[in-house]
Amino acid sequence: MTPAGARPGGGEAARVGWFPYALIAPAMLTLIAVGLVPFLYTVYLSFHEMRHAQIGDWAGLSNYRALLLNPRFWHSAGVSALFIATAVPLAFGLGLAGALILNRGICLRSVIIPVRFVPTMMAPAVVAILWKIMLAGSWGLISYNVIERFGILTGTSVLASPALALYALVLVDVWQWTPFMMLALFAGLQSLPETPYRAAAVDGATALQAFRRLTVPLMMPLMVVIGLLRLIDASKVFDTIFLLTGGGPGTATESVSLFVYKRVFDFWDLGPAAATAVVIWVMFFAFANGFYQVARRKLGAF
Amino acid sequence: MASIKSLAASSARSKESEGASTARPGRSRGGRRRALFTALAVAWTAVGVFPVLWMAVMTVKPEALMFARPPVWAFTPTAEHVRHVLAEGFVWNLGRSLVVAGLSTALVVVVGTPAAYAFARFPIRRRDDLLLFVLATRLAPPVALVIPFYLIYARVGLLDTYTGLVLAYLTFNLSFYVWVLWSFCRDLPVELEEAARADGYSPGRVLIRVVLPLLRPGIIATSVLCFIFAWNEFLYAFMLGGKAVETLPVAVPKLITSQGVKWGELSVVGIAALAPIAAVVFVLQRHIVRGLTMGAVKG
Amino acid sequence: MSARRTRQIVRKTWPVPLAALLLAIVPGLSPAQTWSYKDAAKPYTGRSITILDEVTPLQESMKALVPEFEKETGIKVDYQLLNHFEVISKGQADMLSGRGAYDAVMLHSPQMGLLLEAGVIRPIDEFLGNKALSNPALDRADFIEPAADSLTKFGGKTYGFLNWNYNVVYWARGDLLSHPTERAAFKKHFNYDLAPAKTLQQMRDIAQFFTRKKGEKLAGETLESDFYGIVLEGIKGGTTLWTVLDAFVKNFGGDLFDADGRPTVNRPENVAGVKFWAELWKYSPPGQAEYSLIDVPTVMGNGIAAQTLAWSDFVLGIDQPGKSKLAGKFLYAGSPANAQGKKRSAETEPSGIVISKHSKQPEATYLFIQWMVDKTTQQQLFAKSGGAGVPIRTSTWALPSLKQSRFTGLYAAMQESLKYGIAKPKAPKLYEIMDVLVGLVQEVGLGKKTADAALKEGQEKVTAICAKCTL
Repeated sequence: MTPAGARPGGGEAARVGWFPYALIAPAMLTLIAVGLVPFLYTVYLSFHEMRHAQIGDWAGLSNYRALLLNPRFWHSAGVSALFIATAVPLAFGLGLAGALILNRGICLRSVIIPVRFVPTMMAPAVVAILWKIMLAGSWGLISYNVIERFGILTGTSVLASPALALYALVLVDVWQWTPFMMLALFAGLQSLPETPYRAAAVDGATALQAFRRLTVPLMMPLMVVIGLLRLIDASKVFDTIFLLTGGGPGTATESVSLFVYKRVFDFWDLGPAAATAVVIWVMFFAFANGFYQVARRKLGAF
Repeated sequence: MASIKSLAASSARSKESEGASTARPGRSRGGRRRALFTALAVAWTAVGVFPVLWMAVMTVKPEALMFARPPVWAFTPTAEHVRHVLAEGFVWNLGRSLVVAGLSTALVVVVGTPAAYAFARFPIRRRDDLLLFVLATRLAPPVALVIPFYLIYARVGLLDTYTGLVLAYLTFNLSFYVWVLWSFCRDLPVELEEAARADGYSPGRVLIRVVLPLLRPGIIATSVLCFIFAWNEFLYAFMLGGKAVETLPVAVPKLITSQGVKWGELSVVGIAALAPIAAVVFVLQRHIVRGLTMGAVKG
Repeated sequence: MSARRTRQIVRKTWPVPLAALLLAIVPGLSPAQTWSYKDAAKPYTGRSITILDEVTPLQESMKALVPEFEKETGIKVDYQLLNHFEVISKGQADMLSGRGAYDAVMLHSPQMGLLLEAGVIRPIDEFLGNKALSNPALDRADFIEPAADSLTKFGGKTYGFLNWNYNVVYWARGDLLSHPTERAAFKKHFNYDLAPAKTLQQMRDIAQFFTRKKGEKLAGETLESDFYGIVLEGIKGGTTLWTVLDAFVKNFGGDLFDADGRPTVNRPENVAGVKFWAELWKYSPPGQAEYSLIDVPTVMGNGIAAQTLAWSDFVLGIDQPGKSKLAGKFLYAGSPANAQGKKRSAETEPSGIVISKHSKQPEATYLFIQWMVDKTTQQQLFAKSGGAGVPIRTSTWALPSLKQSRFTGLYAAMQESLKYGIAKPKAPKLYEIMDVLVGLVQEVGLGKKTADAALKEGQEKVTAICAKCTL
């Protein structure tokens, strides 16, 4: 079977000429207008001294230098990295497990899917408030009925503990985004072709072998795309962290988005904030690039 | 023409014949296994959704009992919270959110689908770089971009306009849509398109007549996700919107007042915001569930 | 003219010259005395202005009164209410970017430093001195001090009017404090009568006394869960630092800056104040480090703690039947003093309504904000809101709507606290300074740093931000 996604032969290229470019043109132009222009403006701002939202003198690299020398920036990058490294694989794993279960053919699937999807459908701010109601020290539902009742945590509460607060936030993020992974991976599983599996069954392969040798490679493009997108989005998580811990206790949960938020909305320090945006962008661009290359070569995803 | 149809039909038939509800490796060993998995799925769903159920109960719980320790299960419901939410005009916010999210998603689908298909099928020069560019528009934290956006919009007069907000949402939704749909496109069987071309269809016609129907489930799944992102977006709606374009997430902080948080009303708004999306997902899920196959996988 | 004719004329018209004479020699009797908004607004009828204010019950009542102003003056007013966070973000964005969509904006005192430095607030002195616009019955002496002056006066100019007078009051469980068994036990242990705390030291004693574990007795009943003597805001952010500073540190004689505006974070008085505050964490719920100013009233309303220092407007939301099972059992007092201190300070947050420099209708805007703070408007406001709100005028305390409300105890407490509360220092980088210090102070509360070490670090960090911090 020809691998899905094979492109037509070279002769096709001559015949289709400008057509593909016409297809991508609207998207490209739109992205340039609404995506590139504000970003370039941000880069422009990052090279200037900003006083009270008015562009001041040329500042060269001083905003960048101040940022990169600021230990608090690196701390927030570390917090974000830890957050992403814990939340995304967990959500992915649980989502994949859920997708596999759904794929098995269970009853009530048409009810379970929308219900299970509810967390992803909720506004992040509402999710934050919901989990505050659950986890708030002393008066939270889970805090009182589970944590305090069984004496799991003494002397502090989940969100007030520097050690646990970040993991509580990870829990909230996993709670919200696992259904997203689950649905996307489920759609992918549903789209897998039958024939290879029949052949494998004929050859006497076990379910596990079929999973490793067939499902994983076939699902790889989708898994990589979903994984990458979620990794990037996890760095931007803001509402939940802001409403549940405010970046604290101390700076234990001060992720990059909170770091930037403070500089923009509390201090109105737009120069360093713009520089932070650019630095983050560069870091993610390098990462996405590397990820893409690895996925392409090692995993055969692209 | 006939050849495509027959090809499509035979493809569908073969998948039909592969039989019903259980899909892939390891055929169901009968009802017991199925029941087990169903029980697992139900339990997992119940645990996951419990906090939301609690919030749903809070919509009619009197405020004094809300955080009672130990929790109160039996109480006389009150319509106070719902009444207050309606009186505050949150229905208007819901309407505005529908407009913004709907327009933005429609735009994304119209602009993004051809692009995703093109990236998957055609040897575009510097394809990898262009794809990374598409992704790049999503990489910077919105918190940092929102004020430059605000400053630009203030100058061109796009603040507090539907156009402005819809355009701003394109920055993250379009790249998401193109990337996800691209991976769906790659999985499409090439044979159908090649047959169509062999029959003399123009590339455009191939796209519209052959590819789009096959892509429909993928389009629906991805556009639902885009709709959800636009529906729930707060930061841009807050800074770039205003009185005329006050969407639902922006109206939520109104319930965190100087007299305390209106928990009941918040619960009402939180649950109400779910309703349109839940309805959409429930209705459209059979398209998503079917994935990309033409055949029927009974759900 | 014949003499007879002259006499006839004079007989008929004599009042006129007499009046003119009188008018000339008695200026105060001139018709301009009867000033009215209608007359003052004549040159500006038909103009439109947009106001941004914060959503509070009082401001919501104000919204209902705005049409009266519109009717009387013919000026169209778009009176928008947003919540706390939004008012700050959007108001500042609008003023700093020069967009000028809002003619008048409500500002909180920590914002003043930045906006004054940016020069985007328009002083109102020219309007105050303008007889055509200025209401002679304005009675600026009636505004609550020191809030009004500390907020609006700077560099010899006046920048807007006091508009909202947030304040922190002492809030305690009256039922517990008046329980005979508890009173007896307290007297036995501490040698003085149990009463609402007048001093910080008494507050600490009461906190210690009422911190009990599950199973122990409280007011004759066995506790089903732990109970705490006090709860305070402890989150990183919010108003935690301000409460520490104004309700504690200043009462020990300390302050953030010296008279020249230079940082003096680690002076011994500050250390003493922070230490005192941190010791109270022993008697607080374990999750205090996550408590914002919203959690604190929730904890009180749910009967988890005996005392708190909280923003008085939250009380209005909790101490109502149907909102809390303990409604009616609370009592209030002014923010406590330091038994050994000379200065007295309370945490308040005076906020004002200012005219934006970019406003195209400054006169019309001035008329509106003046009308907002007028005696008659304020009276109507409190009558309409049923006495629920925080006054900006001293005369408001005497209004029947307040005197007859169920919150007389709370109002007495507010009055007390407001005597000792001033606006925040006008430092442009105040938010940055606050951000640095609140993290350190929180660590002291959590027991991770000593007050000495934390404030020393704070001094270094703040000095790195600004050598001279206030304008």
